[in-house]
Formats: sequence, structure tokens, C-alpha cells
Amino acid sequence: MNEVIVSMKNITKIFPGVKALDSVNFELRSGEVMALLGENGAGKSTLMKILSGVYTRDGGTMEIFGKEYGDLTPKQAQQAGVAIIHQELNMCRHLSVAENMFLGRELRGKFSLDNAKMEAEAKRILDDLKINIDPRQTVGDLPVSKQQMVEIAKALSINAKILIMDEPTSALTAREIDDLFRIIRKLKAEGHGIVYISHRLEELAHIVDRVTIMRDGQYITSGNFADMTMDQIIANMVGREIKEKFPRVECKKGKKVFEVKNLNAGKMVRDISFSVYEGEIVGFAGLMGAGRTETTRAIFGVDPKESGEIYVDGKQVKITCPMDAIKNGVVLAPEDRKKDGLCTKLSIRQNLALPNLDWICNKLGVVSSSKEDRLCEKAVQDLRIKTPNVEIDSGNLSGGNQQKVVVGKWLARDSRVVIFDEPTRGIDVGAKVEIYNLMNQLKKQGIAVMFVSSEMPEVMGIADRIIVMCDGRITGEVMAKETTQSEILTLATTFEDKKIGSK
Amino acid sequence: MNNKNQSPLKKLLGIRGMGAALTAFAGLIIIYIAFGLINPAVFSGQNILNLLRSMSKYLLIGIAQSYILITGNIDLSIGTMVGMSAMISATLMTHGIHPLFAILVALLACLATGVANGYLVGKFKLPPFIATLGTMFVTRGIAYMVNGNRNTDAIATGVGKETADKFQNFFYYGKTLGVYNTFWIAILVFILFFFILSKTRTGRHIYAIGSNIDAAKLSGVNVVGTTIKAYMVSSMCSWLVGLILCAQAGMGNMEAGNMYEMYGVAAGVIGGVSPLGGTGILLGTLAGAAVWQTLENGLNMIGAQVGIQRLVIGIIVVGAVLLEVVVRSGQFGKKKKG
Repeated sequence: MNEVIVSMKNITKIFPGVKALDSVNFELRSGEVMALLGENGAGKSTLMKILSGVYTRDGGTMEIFGKEYGDLTPKQAQQAGVAIIHQELNMCRHLSVAENMFLGRELRGKFSLDNAKMEAEAKRILDDLKINIDPRQTVGDLPVSKQQMVEIAKALSINAKILIMDEPTSALTAREIDDLFRIIRKLKAEGHGIVYISHRLEELAHIVDRVTIMRDGQYITSGNFADMTMDQIIANMVGREIKEKFPRVECKKGKKVFEVKNLNAGKMVRDISFSVYEGEIVGFAGLMGAGRTETTRAIFGVDPKESGEIYVDGKQVKITCPMDAIKNGVVLAPEDRKKDGLCTKLSIRQNLALPNLDWICNKLGVVSSSKEDRLCEKAVQDLRIKTPNVEIDSGNLSGGNQQKVVVGKWLARDSRVVIFDEPTRGIDVGAKVEIYNLMNQLKKQGIAVMFVSSEMPEVMGIADRIIVMCDGRITGEVMAKETTQSEILTLATTFEDKKIGSK
Repeated sequence: MNNKNQSPLKKLLGIRGMGAALTAFAGLIIIYIAFGLINPAVFSGQNILNLLRSMSKYLLIGIAQSYILITGNIDLSIGTMVGMSAMISATLMTHGIHPLFAILVALLACLATGVANGYLVGKFKLPPFIATLGTMFVTRGIAYMVNGNRNTDAIATGVGKETADKFQNFFYYGKTLGVYNTFWIAILVFILFFFILSKTRTGRHIYAIGSNIDAAKLSGVNVVGTTIKAYMVSSMCSWLVGLILCAQAGMGNMEAGNMYEMYGVAAGVIGGVSPLGGTGILLGTLAGAAVWQTLENGLNMIGAQVGIQRLVIGIIVVGAVLLEVVVRSGQFGKKKKG
């Protein structure tokens, strides 16, 4: 136990024009969970891609289980026992659990594949992890959390000893996270080495033994988690002290800007009524799957509404598609930026301009490039989007900067209501604060801000008033300053009946 | 934001899709000179004029298919709309109906097909391959039916020689400023649709839905309307090519435009239009159409058989995409960091 199983020294990786890694050191021991921390763009993923053979390094030495490797191929890495559990799960959705686990190394019988044997073997591994999944089930039908566990099981089935988990909890509920941690502890006890990449610093305490911190492609420090304070960790990640994790500005509550009355849309949006006033941010808390995203989508006209009324500045508006919403001054920065927020193949310029073409085009629909230039310039400055110019593919930006583009495209117009759905998911501490500041700025301008977030400290730190949802209904409303986490959690688990689970 | 201080050349190269387009132009020049060295007649003035004229059809078809490819879809009914356009206008003209009215009817038929395609794909989310496969058969069926399952007689038999000549000269045989009208028509259409795609709201929406249809929708883009518009552009270009073929032959041929939808894919793809949507510019399509036609013309001039021509063109199409894939994967490594 506790021997060094991965040792990477002075690893350098140069992409044309960028030094992504500059002599980085990294060490992993067996039977430990090593947190790899750093802001987006710090080089964590690049380092792990070198360890798993996806990229080849330009300098430095790498040993896995004491064996020195030159240019490592993904296949060699796999044989050496390295496996990555991806942030975006890599599974064939239409195949079964067993088929996925044995993909590329199917067991053969005499004439055809030996499905029974593969299923039995898959079952054995899943049982061993105490995961209750039928190996014959189609992967696409499983919830994300279960898919992730299948991926872990798959890694173990090919004898992986070094597991790299990239943001494994970002899509999980509290209960599912507990399950995941149970599995991680078990693997740890069995002597596996686990690299744990996460932006959710709160959860480190539950699981992590040591941390390695990177910043801007450089190795900063490493050490026992127990010997460090959270402030030290953050300061090392960001390279500066972050004064307030949750900056709050006080505004006088003004008149009612936005009101939703008796909104119904499917099972997850039931009889939703609330209002938002000038000078306040209204947080929407709840567990994953509580219907908050569905509510924002119904308001914005993406999904059809069954009934309900929406008022902006006291006037009733009819919203049947996103265009209606935008015209009436209601905008949405969606949850899944890769899927719903960004045209990754288009430039930053085109993304920023997309919802604003109505006012940057003349009557004939011709785009005015000077207006567009001004819009982009302003967005890049106001939001501090880090990019050499706006012609770059938005898909090439780091997560935090992508999120700034998604948000930025809505700020160029005179909106009355801005809905943020999980705006800080998967982005680093520094970028998070910038997003908070932005929301505060909108609040000061008298714009109604709706802020959906699953991270409790964030909602409590930024929102003025918190609406809690559970199971498609609003189960409570609290003032951020007067409430506690446990009060919100109680409201968030107030199910109508017991059959949906949880206590 | 420093693109204001960049040199004009750098700015030009910075335009998205320009790299692929310029590569295709470079390839065009190499191919042209290579053929010319084998057979100097390739450089002759008359050959250049012929080349420009025959290229025009492929340019129009290329524009049609590029608009659709950029939205991330495909239009299999282009070639059959060409046939339908040729057959409808020729049939009407053989019945003595004025060409202006005849081509108008053909235009309506093509536009209706385009709207149907756009509606099926945009509104009902049918896979474009299936939706346009259906309209492909329907429009070819109409092309057969309009004149009772046979090619038409010469259009001069209906509208008279003088009117027929006017029609044929306008679209094919006549020249303006020393160059065939066909080329001018294609270039005007090219400029119009180039402008729409690169400078207008509709153009931006076309790129947006090709890149990420969900994000486009959430940004307030009218996905159904934009898809219909793209398919209408495709049907209009097909209509024009049908008229050109009709003018060239002086009659209607039921099989006119056969396989043109695939030629359109080839022209676009050689010029860097991605079949996956969201990328490519019409300048590339122009280069692609020119490459295609120069190859056909050059292989002809050096006496290569039809079989060889097809084979070479097939290799060029795959080669062009392969080149792009290789180049792009190189860039991927460069820019991704994390």
C-alpha cells in the first residue's frame, strides 16, 4: 500500500502558440484519492490526457508502476491500468450495459458471441460494487448517475488500477454523490489510485487524501489535504486572494417586474406562481430533477405550456416560442451550454450577435458590422472574456469563457428579466465570481434576475429570496439571510408521496 | 479585438472557411495548368468560354446544395427538380405558351417542392435524407408525367423559332460582353446568395441551426422558417439549372439533371463546406464547381474516357475532405487545452 504508482516529472506540452504544460510534476500513490485542482485552462485535462495516452508530451519523464514510458498510446495506457471516467460520459447509448462493458473485447463462444458469459461477468463486477443494475438494460435508459457507475465498472473490468475521474459529481444529486463516494472509498481500500478532478471544493473533505494544484499550465504545490485550509487552496488555484466568494450588493426592492401565475407544463411544472421585483435576485433551489430547468424552459417558450399567465412590468405577455420571450424582454442562459447555449462551430462574434440580429441588422436584414463590432467589444470587455479576438471558434474557449459568451449574448439587449440556469456549473472559482458580479450588476440596473442553482452555498450567498422546488412544485419560499441549509433541504425534499424515493 | 489593426490579407485569411476555399482555388490553378501543359488547347479562348459556361450549372447546383449542407441537412431532390423545371417549361412552350409564363409555372412547382422539403425537415423533424428522397421520387415522377412519359418535341414547334431562339440565347447560347449569358446568370445568383449567406440575418441563422439547432432555437432563431428558406434557395437554383438545360437542348428531357444533387455535394465539399453543417462559405463552392468542371473539361481535352473521368473526380472529392479532416485534427490538438 501507498507505493508510488504514477510519477510524472517536468512534463511539458506545447500546442502551437501555447505552452499548455510547463514542467509539471505529478505523483499518485496506490490507495489514495488525489485531487487535481486548478481553474479552467490550468492544464489539468491536458496532464491527464498525457497520462492516458491521448496526447504525447514534449518533455519530461513518466513512470507508471515503476515502468518508464516514452510515447504512450491510449492502448498502452489502458494496459498499464489507466482509465478515465469522462465528464461527458462516453457510452453507446443504444447498447446494453454488458455490451458497453465488453465493447471492443467481446467474449466469443464457439460460433457467436457468448452473451451469457459477458452478462454474468458484468453482473459479478456490478454486484461487487454493490450497484444494482441489470446488465441487459439499455444504457441510454439509465439515469446519468447509473451510467457513470457502469463506466466505472467497465474500467474495473479491464483491470484499471489508476482511475481518473473528471468532474464526476457535476450531474449527480446529493444521494447519488453519496453512492459514488462509497464506491470511491471501496476502490481506495482495495489499493486503486484515484485522480479526482472537481470544481466543487466543498466535497473534497469527504473523499480526498492529497491535493495537487495547478495554475496556467504550471505546477503550484501539492500536499496532504488535511494540512491545508480551503482559503489556501483557493489562493493557490487563483493566484490571488478572492476576497468574497459570494459578493453581495444591497439594493432597494422596487416595483414588481416579473410575475408568473399558475404555470403548468407537463409533470415537472405544476402550478408554479411567483414574482420577481426590481433590485432583487430570486434563487431557485432544489434537488436535481425538481423541475426548475423545466420551469425556465416553459417560461421561455421552449417547451409548450398547458396553462398559466406571465406578466412583464404589469402587462400580460403571450410566450409560445423563445422569439416571443426575447421580444418581451425575457431571456434565458440555459443550463447545458454545449447543448443549448453555444454554437461551438461558430465564432465568438457570431454567437454574441445571434440573438441580437434584430437590432444590429437594417430593415433589409443586412448585418451592420460596425454595430456588431461594438457589441462584441463591449461584451468582451464587460465580461472579461479571455480571447485574442472574437473570430475564434467559441468551442475552443475554456468552460468559464464559454459561459461568459452564453451570458454575454443576452446582456447586449434591453432585457427586463434574465434567467440564469446553473450559470456556474463546471467553471472555476474566479469565473464564478465574475458571473456573480454580473448578476449583481443586473440587479442594480433594476432587471429581474432568476437564478437557478443546485449549489446551496451559492444560492444562499447570492440570491436575496429563495424559492424552493420539489417534484415540479414550489414547496417553499425563504429569505436568504434568514434561512439555513437544512431548512432549504427540508423544503427540497417535501415530496407529495413516497413512491419517488428519498426521505 | 485587434483585428482592426490587421493587414487586409490577414483579415481575409481570418474569415471562417476562407482557408478551405483558397486551397480549392490553388488546386484549381494547378489542375488547369497541368491540363494546359498536356494539351495547350485547354488555354484557348473558346475553351475558357466553354469552361465558364459549363461550370455555371455546377456553380448553381453547388450553391443549392451548400445552403442545405450548411444547415446540417441534405437535399436529394435537386437533380429531379432540375428535370421537373426543364420538363414543365419545355412542355408548356411546345404547347405555344409564352416562355415567361412557362418558366413561372416551373418556378412555382420548384418552390412548392422546396417549401415541402423545408416543412418536412424543419417542422416535422423528418431526417432530411428521407424527406428529400421522397420528394426526389415525386418530382422525377412529375417530370415524367407532364408530357406523358416521353421527352418533349423542340420548343420551337410550339412558340415558334424566333421566341425559341430568344429563350435559348438568353439562357445558353447568347453572349454579353463576350461571355456566355449562362455564366453571367450564375455569377449574379452567386453574388446574391453569397451576400445573403455572409451578410444578412437569414444567413447567420442558417449557420446557427447547422452548428447547434438547440442553441439557435434558444437564441430566438425561427428554425422552421430558416430551414424552409434554405430549401427554397435550393429549389430556385435547381429551377434555373432546369431552364439552362432546357435552353441548351431546345427541348425537355425527362432525365435532365440526373445525379445533380450529388454533383452539388461534390462542389460544396471540395470547396470546404462541411456535410455536418455550420461551416463553409460559397466562395469555396465557387472554387469547388470550377475544380469539378476543369477536371471534366481537362480530362475530355486530353482524351480520357468517361470512366476515368468519374474515377478521378471520385478520388478528388474524398481527397479534399480527407485533407480538411487531417488539417482540422491538427488544429484540434493545438487549441484544446484544459
